Amino acid sequence: MTSRLLAAAVVLAHVAAAALAAPPANAVRAPGKHAEDTCTACHLTLDDARLRAPAQLANSDIHHTQGITCAGCHGGDAGSEDPAVAMNAAKGFVGKFGRRAIAEMCGSCHSDPTFMLRYAPNIPTDQLAQYRTSKHGVALAKGDTNIAVCSSCHGAHGVLQVNDARSPVYPTRIVETCGHCHGDAALMARYGIKGNEIAEYKQSVHYAVLVKKNDLSAPTCKSCHGAHGATPPGVSSVSNVCGTCHPTQRERFDLSPHKDAFAALQEPACESCHSNHAILHPTDGWIGVGEKQVCGNCHSAGDAGATAASAISGALEKATATITGAQGRVDRVKRAGMLMDDADVKLEEAHQSLVVAQVEIHTVNPARVEDQTKAVLAASGAADTLAAKAEAEIRYRRTGLFISLGVIALALVALIIKIRAMER
Amino acid sequence: MRILDRLWRALDDRLDLAPLVEFATHKEVPQHRRSWAYYFGGLTMFFFFVQVATGILLLLYYRPTAEAAFESVQFIVTRVPFGWLIRSVHSWSANLMILAAFAHMFSVYMMGSYARPREFTWWSGFVLLLLAMGFGFSGYLLPWNELSFFATRVGTDMVSKVPLAGEWLLKFLRGGEEVTGATLTRFFGFHVAVLPMITMALLGVHLALLQRQGMHIPEGLEEEARARKPLRFVPNFVMREGVVWLVGLAALAALAAFFPWELGVKADPFTSAPAGIKPEWYFLFMFEALKLLPAHVLGIEGELVGLGVFSLAGLVWFLVPVLDRGSQVGHRSRAFVVLGWLALAYVVSFTLLSFAGVFK
Repeated sequence: MTSRLLAAAVVLAHVAAAALAAPPANAVRAPGKHAEDTCTACHLTLDDARLRAPAQLANSDIHHTQGITCAGCHGGDAGSEDPAVAMNAAKGFVGKFGRRAIAEMCGSCHSDPTFMLRYAPNIPTDQLAQYRTSKHGVALAKGDTNIAVCSSCHGAHGVLQVNDARSPVYPTRIVETCGHCHGDAALMARYGIKGNEIAEYKQSVHYAVLVKKNDLSAPTCKSCHGAHGATPPGVSSVSNVCGTCHPTQRERFDLSPHKDAFAALQEPACESCHSNHAILHPTDGWIGVGEKQVCGNCHSAGDAGATAASAISGALEKATATITGAQGRVDRVKRAGMLMDDADVKLEEAHQSLVVAQVEIHTVNPARVEDQTKAVLAASGAADTLAAKAEAEIRYRRTGLFISLGVIALALVALIIKIRAMER
Repeated sequence: MRILDRLWRALDDRLDLAPLVEFATHKEVPQHRRSWAYYFGGLTMFFFFVQVATGILLLLYYRPTAEAAFESVQFIVTRVPFGWLIRSVHSWSANLMILAAFAHMFSVYMMGSYARPREFTWWSGFVLLLLAMGFGFSGYLLPWNELSFFATRVGTDMVSKVPLAGEWLLKFLRGGEEVTGATLTRFFGFHVAVLPMITMALLGVHLALLQRQGMHIPEGLEEEARARKPLRFVPNFVMREGVVWLVGLAALAALAAFFPWELGVKADPFTSAPAGIKPEWYFLFMFEALKLLPAHVLGIEGELVGLGVFSLAGLVWFLVPVLDRGSQVGHRSRAFVVLGWLALAYVVSFTLLSFAGVFK
């Protein structure tokens, strides 16, 4: 009983120490000025690698470079060279923080708009509030200390700015950071999570864009789940999450009969066809009720949905075939040396209309899709006509050339005959 | 016919043309086993005339500014009736002209035709070849496409290596520090005004010297030339030259129709240079040799050494009629024959090897 009370008292003392509104004034220098303290100087000389490591990381730590000494978080007197004074509990020194105290300790500054304003005018200060609503925060509040806290993702010492490419929460690294726990199937099993989400995400078109095109705007874990308020989106909000980046698709989906039907079936909107983490690049081949076709998840051959899918699929197939044919013809005449800029513009128009037609699929209305595929047919038809004209021009030029060569050859022969006759 | 006779009489009365006709009808061209080489000069001139004619037609639509040059050439090859043909013939004829000029130069050299008293003909021909290369270099930039832009940047950059005057020359050629619209306007000026004017004058001198001195009979073939009946210049040689010109015309037409000259993509000074930038083929033998040189030779910048060697070689080539003392008394020294073959082997092999991608 006594030991439990003691443990609770220690935790409370940590929380109380961490809950200071801001670091003590002597722990903070002017922003932009590197912190100077005796803590790092002393810790660098220690034999114990665990005690030396924080001091080694201090130079790259954003807090330290902005003038916040070790005492900013740990308390104590960073100006004293005497360890007994520097790490005196009476001076607010707290050694290693318990996991439950970390979020509150970080929040003591990061939730204080007045304090944070000194470092950046538009830095958010709602991280702690969001964290408390997150799956992580809720579990921590219930006493689960295996759960992620600030330092799990950002690191404890050597914390880097989020826009630093070396930071563990930088877009290209955050998947691995989340995967540190969420890729551990045994750990995740304790929370009823499969643990294959990271592996699935890595097959997705989103991940491909992130790592192959180095597109930092590509969605990562936090784009859909939130960062500090990390939580899985509910069935009803999936389309809002996807719609953040794909608003046109969401708008078209909202026009479709699927909107109400999915809601009634309590099926998520986008996820039902596109999956959640392993979001692959969609193809026109998905449309239909056959094997590996998504409409077949709910519809079967002969029903209204299957008929609509068949009409949509047919229209798209025809449009794609027409573009491919026109593109091939234009490429052939280009190789023959013709400039086909006008045809390229038409083909670009056709491709754009095809993309719009593919977006219209979300309305599941064949008429709306066909409106766009007609535009595809018109534009690729125009490109094809231009290619046909160019082919005719090539034939005309070659015919002209053969006639000219014939005339030249005749003149040559006549001249040679004349020369021979003259010199005989 | 009576009208033609009257016209002739009227002109002759005023201009005293009869001696010229008399000269032309009596002019003879010697015949021997190497007399086929006499046609290269005429062929070069034919391509030059094609250049003048097609160049004037291109001028009707071409606009020499960085903003409009590429688009105007695009307009010529897509919208102007037969514009594609004119542009393609202009580009092909330019290359064939240089090729014919090189063939002419080497055949003249190998036959020792530069020897006294034809030194001035050699010198004027040498300068005409440089002018032709100047036409090629300045004309290459005019379509303002990516390749020509970067090739011009590399080419003009070489000039900056010239000791003392390098920086000034670079600015003079580029019209500033960089290749810009100012360079394009300047090159256009050189291409359509300065170079044609000098070329026309020099070509006149070259032809006048030729008429004045007649064809040279190579050393050792005098006997054969005496034995064979010479060709009358008019009409026999002129008609034979006509045959060669017609073959040249047929080649041009076929090349222009089957291998239309590409336009490429518009130059963008802010992009990085595409890989494998090369000058026109007739600069390749120098370009590749310069690339092979190490960065420094005996403490001097490699490119500077290369340019020095090429300048010196050019000077030797130019002064061959003076340096080859034997040729002045009718016996070419063996060393200069060997030099000619070495030069030909070097130019041909480096150009072909460059096309084969050996220097990559």
